[in-house]
Amino acid sequence: MPMSTTNNGFVTVLVDFGRALRSKGLAIGSGDILTYCAAMAPLDPTDLVDLYWAGRTTMIVRHEDVIVYDEVFRSFFLASDSPVQKLLKIKAQSAAEAESAFEIPATEPSGKEQQEEALLGLMASNVEILKHRSFGECTDEELAAIRRIMARIKFTPPKRRTRRTKTAGDGRKPDMRRTIRESMRTNGEMVDLYWRRRRVRLRPLILILDVSGSMSDYSRALLQFAYSAKRATQKVEVFCFGTRLTQVTKPLQTRKPDEALARAAQLVVDWEGGTRIGDSIDKFVRKWARRGMCRGGVVVICSDGLDRGDPELLADSMERLSRLCHNIVWMNPHKGNDMDYRPQTVGMMAAEPYIDVLLSGHDLSSLEEFATLLPKLG
Amino acid sequence: MNYPSTVRELTEMLRRGNYLADRGLATAVFVAMSLQRPILLEGEVGVGKTEIAKVLASVFGRTLIRLQCYEGIDTNQALYEWDYARQLLYIRALSERDIAGEEAVEKLFGPRFLLERPLMQAIQAGDQAVLLIDEVDRADDEFEAFLLEVLSDFQISIPEVGTIKAQRPPLVILTSNRTRDLHDALKRRCMYHWIGYPDSDREVAIVTVQAPEVSEALARKVVAAVNRLREMDLAKPPGVAETIDWARTLSFLGETGLSVSTADVTLGSIIKDRDDLELVRDNLREVTSHV
Repeated sequence: MPMSTTNNGFVTVLVDFGRALRSKGLAIGSGDILTYCAAMAPLDPTDLVDLYWAGRTTMIVRHEDVIVYDEVFRSFFLASDSPVQKLLKIKAQSAAEAESAFEIPATEPSGKEQQEEALLGLMASNVEILKHRSFGECTDEELAAIRRIMARIKFTPPKRRTRRTKTAGDGRKPDMRRTIRESMRTNGEMVDLYWRRRRVRLRPLILILDVSGSMSDYSRALLQFAYSAKRATQKVEVFCFGTRLTQVTKPLQTRKPDEALARAAQLVVDWEGGTRIGDSIDKFVRKWARRGMCRGGVVVICSDGLDRGDPELLADSMERLSRLCHNIVWMNPHKGNDMDYRPQTVGMMAAEPYIDVLLSGHDLSSLEEFATLLPKLG
Repeated sequence: MNYPSTVRELTEMLRRGNYLADRGLATAVFVAMSLQRPILLEGEVGVGKTEIAKVLASVFGRTLIRLQCYEGIDTNQALYEWDYARQLLYIRALSERDIAGEEAVEKLFGPRFLLERPLMQAIQAGDQAVLLIDEVDRADDEFEAFLLEVLSDFQISIPEVGTIKAQRPPLVILTSNRTRDLHDALKRRCMYHWIGYPDSDREVAIVTVQAPEVSEALARKVVAAVNRLREMDLAKPPGVAETIDWARTLSFLGETGLSVSTADVTLGSIIKDRDDLELVRDNLREVTSHV
């Protein structure tokens, strides 16, 4: 059944489906729905598998979103009470085929990850204290503190030279294009040589914050610190961990500090629980660092090093991490102002060989100290 | 060249090019072709992201133009560059004969002195080309913004020459290994498809198609072992390319099965990380059992 013979009803169904996806939080614009409709034109609209894949390829741009897409698709097109069923007169056989098509995505990591997550959740409920930290509104002092950090401290990560060049009088590479252009004025006589120089760029900054029970006095300040850093410079990624690692970069992105902190806090499920630093760093290395997130970057770990997990795992993952990033800074609040601090906890001892700089991080002023040190790590 | 009018036909054409695409990938490519949009492929390493571009080019009889991205890639390497040495010689020759005029200058910045780089070649070739923009995640943000411009209009402006526009856009395939997130703006220009690991049967079929010398029995054993490896907690799980390599290696050595000892000596073709090697060596018996 080609598109030309169908009525507007079909388009309405597709648009409604797009809306259903949008209501589940996927960013889908009218343009995307338009593309979806156009994509269906040469396909078979009564074939659920076509409906599924065409929608997925046109409206989904992130692998993580596939899970939501599958869910919405299932409830929208496959539910027995769905009005769509009647309208499209979907062939029974194609519905069966579609059901099996959904098994295909299940072989992909997304399905596995979700399963794993569910499994973890079950297991974890025994050992972990799952807790959403309810951050109230920031007090006036705290807001002032955030403003103060942001105003006073320049979060300038160290720089590195890139492979891109820019025009520069004292550069090293000749700027052939410009030289030739200019030489035209003088009949091909090269009067001046022009030069280019390699550009510099800020290194990425990755903050990995310990929000477990033993760090509860500091976790709020750390999150504020992360928020300020995120506001101040561009390439910042923020993670929180207690017993599991959560990426909180996105929620911290908003302009309002209250909202940012609340949203980040909402995302982290293991506030003030136990600590498994080794597991968390290992997960970071496997899931993000290996893909290059911190390549050439500065990784800042804020933790007291009280690890319930296997110190060997921590040592292993720290070693890997040290090979994947430029610098590792460890901020340990227990170091305090003690200049002769030596690592006491097993975790710290395991991690120490791979730490480039060990700092304290027990209050906002020590975080300021870190910020001043940051540009020099290049 | 006749183009497929259904997904099934496309799948069949790809199969003839020795590429076994599943329904999802075939639909994505089919939609991208009929809407004339670029297609962005993401997925684990070694699942055939780059390969499909090559196969599409060959089954449609188009030229494959490949742009390998890397950090710091800029317009000079992606789009065009003037041939400075020749330009210089030309200017010299002109001034010696004292014939430098408006027309000569015009020539100096004409097509003769223009070195075409992949993106420009693709735009010139239009629908005679498959443009593969490989590992776009390795290029930096600035390049992505620039790509966005090229991919939305398929036209390029060269100040000295003017605007060059593709009559009909080439088929564009972008691949990414997700070392970083691409900008949503770029993704929105593209069809998106995630290529996962194939299921066992399909993978066996892929191995026997790609390496005909491998017997199906051996392929089945290798695939079973690889699937077990993927379940292990490896830093870098083996892709389909590695499966094929391993099957080839074993077949080249005249092996018909997979025992602990043969697996041990050929492990290098499938595991390429020292830590992983150690982990797998400790569990070899389990990996090769029941196959």
